[in-house]
Amino acid sequence: MGEENVLNVAGRYDQIRTIIKFVTAGGEAAGLDEKALFHLELCCDEASTNIIEHAYGAEDVGPIIVSFQAQNEAFVVTFLDHGRPFNPEDVAEPTYYDDLSDSNIGEFLDQMKVGGLGIHFMRRLMDEVHYNFDLKKGNELTLVKYIPERGV
Amino acid sequence: MMSIMQLQLIPCLWLIEVEGRLDQSQTPELEKILKQLQNDPQCSIIVDFSQATYINSGGLRCLLTSSRLAKSQGGDVVLCGLKARITEIFDMVGLNHVFTIYSTRGEAVDHFDSLQSDAPTGNSG
Repeated sequence: MGEENVLNVAGRYDQIRTIIKFVTAGGEAAGLDEKALFHLELCCDEASTNIIEHAYGAEDVGPIIVSFQAQNEAFVVTFLDHGRPFNPEDVAEPTYYDDLSDSNIGEFLDQMKVGGLGIHFMRRLMDEVHYNFDLKKGNELTLVKYIPERGV
Repeated sequence: MMSIMQLQLIPCLWLIEVEGRLDQSQTPELEKILKQLQNDPQCSIIVDFSQATYINSGGLRCLLTSSRLAKSQGGDVVLCGLKARITEIFDMVGLNHVFTIYSTRGEAVDHFDSLQSDAPTGNSG
């Protein structure tokens, strides 16, 4: 199991790029390809945005603590915050994907407001998404991306 | 590097070029520009993504809100020049069905040109 790397930043939008660079550098070193790194970038962006907007409700309310670990077959990223419990499993999938049109777009936009689209991206682009809430630790969101086998 | 440029092509048709990342660092600015242009009710907008490298859910929401407003006012927001990674994000959410997306800026301009020439203007002969 690889060493754990930790970054602790203020919960602000201008820190999201720092988080993305930190995580994707780790992902690249772990052997993720360009496409997987792009997916990781988007999911880290959405996870951080949801922490600021929904767990904390504003910027500069509390920290975002990000850590990653490269295990044998998986790259594991964990987000911790001390905001309100925000369980992605409680956020419904946006309803319309295949038939999104002018008639249902308003409903879809409402769902996007509660972080639904970011969560959808995480579910679609990561291999595993886990959530845990602990009174001491706060919200803990874990994103897992499998590392393709490297050629010998 | 990032920037947003706007240019009026003809009356009622604007071009916005997004460069770099359409995330929290640029979306509020894009939102402001779109709102401003849409004060002119029937205004249509081409958003050129050929220099854009990234979009997140906030960027998508901004474009969708603007598209909805444009359509309700008789205008439109069309997109062009999306790179493969950005196209993947649009497709994943089904937004490729909501927006008219052209490969190039030229094709997007041609679309509005053809609308103009079809419209009875009274001075076209």
